Amino acid sequence: MEVYRAQLTRVISGPVKLTDQDPLQRSNRINQSAMEEPTAKGTVTSLSSMFSVDDVQKAAKRVQDALLEKQQELERVKEFISDNTNLINLVQKLPEELHHGIMVPFGKAAFFPGRLIHTNEFMVLLGEGYYAERTSKQTVEILKRRGKVLDSQVDSLKAMMKDLQAEASFFDTTASEAAEGLVEIREEYGEENLSERASESGLLKQDSSRLSEADNLKDEDEEYARIMSRLDELEKEELAWEIENGSAESKQNNVAKSDNAKYGDEDNELEEAELAAETENRSDENKQNNAAGSDNENNEDEQANTVSDQFSNQISLDHNLRHSECTGLTVQAALEDAKPRTKSLATNVNVEANSAEKALVLPKEDNVATAPLSIQEISAQASKPEFDRYKAFTESIIEHNYNLQTDQQEQIRNTSKPSGSQSSKPVSRFKMQRK
Amino acid sequence: MDSYRQEKVQKFEEFVDRRLKPDLTRAIAERDKVFEQQKIFSDLRKNIENLEKNSVTSLRTLVNLGSEVYMQADVPDTQHIFVDIGLGFHVEFTWSEALKFISQREDKIARQIDEYTRLIASIKAQIKLVCEGICELLQLPAETSVQEAIF
Repeated sequence: MEVYRAQLTRVISGPVKLTDQDPLQRSNRINQSAMEEPTAKGTVTSLSSMFSVDDVQKAAKRVQDALLEKQQELERVKEFISDNTNLINLVQKLPEELHHGIMVPFGKAAFFPGRLIHTNEFMVLLGEGYYAERTSKQTVEILKRRGKVLDSQVDSLKAMMKDLQAEASFFDTTASEAAEGLVEIREEYGEENLSERASESGLLKQDSSRLSEADNLKDEDEEYARIMSRLDELEKEELAWEIENGSAESKQNNVAKSDNAKYGDEDNELEEAELAAETENRSDENKQNNAAGSDNENNEDEQANTVSDQFSNQISLDHNLRHSECTGLTVQAALEDAKPRTKSLATNVNVEANSAEKALVLPKEDNVATAPLSIQEISAQASKPEFDRYKAFTESIIEHNYNLQTDQQEQIRNTSKPSGSQSSKPVSRFKMQRK
Repeated sequence: MDSYRQEKVQKFEEFVDRRLKPDLTRAIAERDKVFEQQKIFSDLRKNIENLEKNSVTSLRTLVNLGSEVYMQADVPDTQHIFVDIGLGFHVEFTWSEALKFISQREDKIARQIDEYTRLIASIKAQIKLVCEGICELLQLPAETSVQEAIF
């Protein structure tokens, strides 16, 4: 609503014609409307207060006079042009005959009967009292060049007249508008309007992303179920193998950890059980690592998403945080990627095993654990500046949760096809920096 | 009384500005035209006297075709000259006849000039008179220097 109002006031910031008759009433109404809207910071001034009608009319008259002057000049130049064309025709025609009978002027008031001789010889004034003897053709060339100069003069005069006409019409309209009692509404251009707009568009995007996510949710659920069944399978295999080789492994462990000799036999037994559990976990991790490694990066990402999506149903904010981090991790190199990924996954598995109550708590812990990790990653990935910058930026905007989702979606797209989504990246960054 | 005087002053000023001054400029323009005529005829007289002195029978000259483009022209017989007598009429004269006509014409032109000069002087006098009248109406001391500055 706020944005709407700001836009409206901007739209009507030009001169607005009001059909009211009483100017006082009109200004009052405008003041009222300005009071009602806290966002409108415009000023209202009537045109007649800025320019008096008489002044405008005087200015219009002056412009008209100038226009008339130009018109006369144009007429004169056009006369010159017609004279010039006549002379060109004459000069072209004269050499056709050897001589022409004319009246030779003798001063202004007298003439002699005579004739023109040497009809192909012309004396042409070049300027500053210099004359050149030219033939008919050469003279015609000179005259044509003069004609071109005159044409350009006519063009410039016409352009000037056009300007003056525009000016005159402007003055006329201003005069009539001032007489009618028009008002001008001015508003300072505010930066916040733009950001408001941007946020609105961001919200829109978010909505659209939510919609698409809802579509994806089904697929992800299926994927999740598949992965979990696979994990269970692997776990069972592990357990079977453990039962077979359990005694041998515990002995090996004992040999490896000879420092543990200080513990008692009972303690040793307890420790053995612990170690067994540990190895189980570790191998589990390894297995999962392999499974994850066999799939491609994109798949992994989806796995992460599905796991974290599980929580998103419970805590949306935490979901956002986790989500962004998980996707952030996917852009790591394969080796680096394996550690934090499996770690988070392992915690997820644990969470799955635990009650739903614990699931509410765990993600926060996870955040604490992964936050410094991601910082390390940023420093480690200085060789990839574009990604690095992007991620650094991703980390910095975590507190804006509504924009995050859009960003996160973009990121997923980036990982799936990094070359194709280059264009969308700078736009989002630009927007984010405005926040 | 004061308003009446103001009205009178305004009336006189209008008379000076709208009637006498345009009349004066027109008279001066007319006189300038006559001066030009005088110059043309005096030039023609000098030229004919020159021809007579040098006993030129044929003449070769340059004719202006317009836009300062000249062409040579030949006059085989200079004895007969056509002179503009006014109203678009030209009369064929011999040199002596032409000189006689020109001197008569010059006399007439001189008279015209005198006439115009007198007219101009009278208009100027009228302007001055009206201005003095205005000064008297306003009861200002007679100020001649200002009036002379105008003309």
